[in-house]
Amino acid sequence: MKVSIISLTCCAGCVSSFLNAGEALLDVLSEEFEVVYSPTFVDLKEIPQVDLAIVEGGVRTETDEKLIREVRAKSRTLVALGICATHGGVTSLGNLTSVKKLLEKEYSLLDSSTLPELTDLMYPICNFVDVDYYVPGCPPMPLLIIHTLKSIINARPPQRHTSVVCIECKRKIVPKKLDRLYGIYEKESDPELCLVSQGFVCLGSVTRDGCGAPCPRAGFTCFGCRGPADSLLYRERDLYSFLVKIISARTGIQEDTVKEELHRNPFVFHTFVFSKFERSKARERVI
Amino acid sequence: MSGKKEITISPATRIEGHGKVTIILDEQGNVSNAYFYATEIRGFDYFLLGMEAERLPFIVSRICGVCSTAHIMASVKAIESIFETEITETARKLRELLLMGQIINNHSLVFFFLTLPDFWFSQEEDPNRRNVFQIMREKPDVGKKAITLRSFGAQIADVIGKREVHIVSVIPGGLINPLRDRERQELLQKAEEAGTIAKEALDLGKELFDKNWEDFRKAGDYRTNYMALTKGEALEFYDGTISVLDAEGKPLSRFEAKDFMEHVEERKLEWTYAKFASLAGLKWPEGIVQVGPTARMNVSAKAPTNQAEQELKEFKKRFGNPAHATLLFDYARMIDLLYACERAKELLTDENLTRTDTRVKVKPKAGRGVGVVEAPRGTLAHEYELTRAGHLKSMKLIIPTQVNNAAINLNVKDAAMEFIHRGDIRPGLLNRVEMVIRAYDPCIKCATRQANAAIAIEIRNSQGELLRTLG
Repeated sequence: MKVSIISLTCCAGCVSSFLNAGEALLDVLSEEFEVVYSPTFVDLKEIPQVDLAIVEGGVRTETDEKLIREVRAKSRTLVALGICATHGGVTSLGNLTSVKKLLEKEYSLLDSSTLPELTDLMYPICNFVDVDYYVPGCPPMPLLIIHTLKSIINARPPQRHTSVVCIECKRKIVPKKLDRLYGIYEKESDPELCLVSQGFVCLGSVTRDGCGAPCPRAGFTCFGCRGPADSLLYRERDLYSFLVKIISARTGIQEDTVKEELHRNPFVFHTFVFSKFERSKARERVI
Repeated sequence: MSGKKEITISPATRIEGHGKVTIILDEQGNVSNAYFYATEIRGFDYFLLGMEAERLPFIVSRICGVCSTAHIMASVKAIESIFETEITETARKLRELLLMGQIINNHSLVFFFLTLPDFWFSQEEDPNRRNVFQIMREKPDVGKKAITLRSFGAQIADVIGKREVHIVSVIPGGLINPLRDRERQELLQKAEEAGTIAKEALDLGKELFDKNWEDFRKAGDYRTNYMALTKGEALEFYDGTISVLDAEGKPLSRFEAKDFMEHVEERKLEWTYAKFASLAGLKWPEGIVQVGPTARMNVSAKAPTNQAEQELKEFKKRFGNPAHATLLFDYARMIDLLYACERAKELLTDENLTRTDTRVKVKPKAGRGVGVVEAPRGTLAHEYELTRAGHLKSMKLIIPTQVNNAAINLNVKDAAMEFIHRGDIRPGLLNRVEMVIRAYDPCIKCATRQANAAIAIEIRNSQGELLRTLG
């Protein structure tokens, strides 16, 4: 199987995560898996026709857009790896402000003949091309990547994770009566109790599982990097209210107060940016 | 050959991020100029304005997934400096260990996956074979060692930081979770093996380096100042004083992290999204300074662990102090790696590492603060100004690749002049130019978190016509 690994606008953390898979990575590499194009690892300078393209990063420049279209046209199967490719990721925070304008002002001297133009927003790749499998995560855990790739190599549909992070988190959900919500640095957390029950804004209850819940298990709130769970994918407009209801129920805090806190948390953004994600058969393709 | 020509290498390969190089040839086909470009931009410096301090570390971590731990460390240190928080000794040790994991994870990747293929194969090798996957096919045990060493770095991040990439346990005030003794012992066991592999890798690296050294000793030896963190004149990554050496090897300045921004300034040039950083108060180009593995060797009088100390001595004896040639970054990186393995083992041997006092309460306040650490690619500084409500008012990041940006460009030109004559641009020669870039292990992601950067090589003639694109 000929494979290309492509990075668009991103932090390179997803390919980094893939390379952290240890012996499982050697397994994949020893199978029928030949990386023929990857500016990070291989010297080939032109994009070749491949069986599988693994794409990390989203579209922030015209070069990204051109590249992803060419990659799609030259790949049989295309995997969007990580939240930037699947949803736009952290760089989408720039969509909340006029980053493009600010940058144009700051870099007004730039010679446009040598540098690519910015797109108006940061986009997930599915805004431009058809995606065969979405593997959200910031980054996806190494073994999740490996399992997905192995299934594709063996021409089997990859195992999907359809539930929420809470399923993988061992903390006990107990309704409490709290007077306010807390920032993660404001107080130490009880290691047994659900973080939401303790007043922390944890997004585990709406976020897709498959990561093993490393963040809430460690006492750090889930920030939704795996995107919405299946059950919430088609209720996009209700997702926000759903989250508000859950937090309110577990903390006893009024829904309006919870809403205020969520407004201050740009990371909720991960969960809500699904632009054209629900089109066609996207739901069946999220791993 | 008549008229000027321009050669582009795009994308520059086996580096992290999108890169492009342009080499301009004169009428005789000799190099008249060369540039290394960044062509991405993301806008972190803008969209983070107004962000609550407590969310900063794990968002700035996303500037770079390759050196995310280093960014988190610089970030929490900057916040702690504003809040005047003193973390516990246990937290300090765990953070240093995480940073060693970062160095091991990164440097093993750079050595085995990015630069080794250049040394392993001949320059005239088929470019489609000149990569780590081919090495793995030919010598599976080398691949296994590469993965084992890199995994050790990832495991440190996973066990202590709770994730392999973008760790979550490090917060202002210390770490959320203490280390369990069982975990400490498991990591200690792996540290043994990692140390052995790092030494073997260094020996292999030296052997292959020697074969190439004659070719490269004059390629990219622009003389600059050097900067790194030191602790009592010794090699250090987590805290200490910033020391600057001039091109002759004389101490130029020594200052505390809090004064960092007074000593380093930024400038923009019109042809790249990556900004340049240089020493403040000195004219361009006198203020050009380099950071990273070679700078650490040049600035440190000694290394605190046995094997690294021997290697450092040998390095200084052989290449002088300061050492200038760019390819020495590849050599010095292996001494970093050996040190990180030795130091990780030392830290893991300490039973106090599992004490539970990993966290102190922080008292948020307004103000300005700087956090500095040695990231894999060199000295990394984050400066934040916070409002009384704890929101980000301004932010300034000085990133190693930005600091090295000037030297990279000068040395790319120098290397191009060394290797390209009379319009002869065979791929083997152009790859030698790329090797000089690779030696820096430039991180375009980091240098261009404001913009979306790519780096590519073009060779053009003196009328600016495109002669050849390595792309």
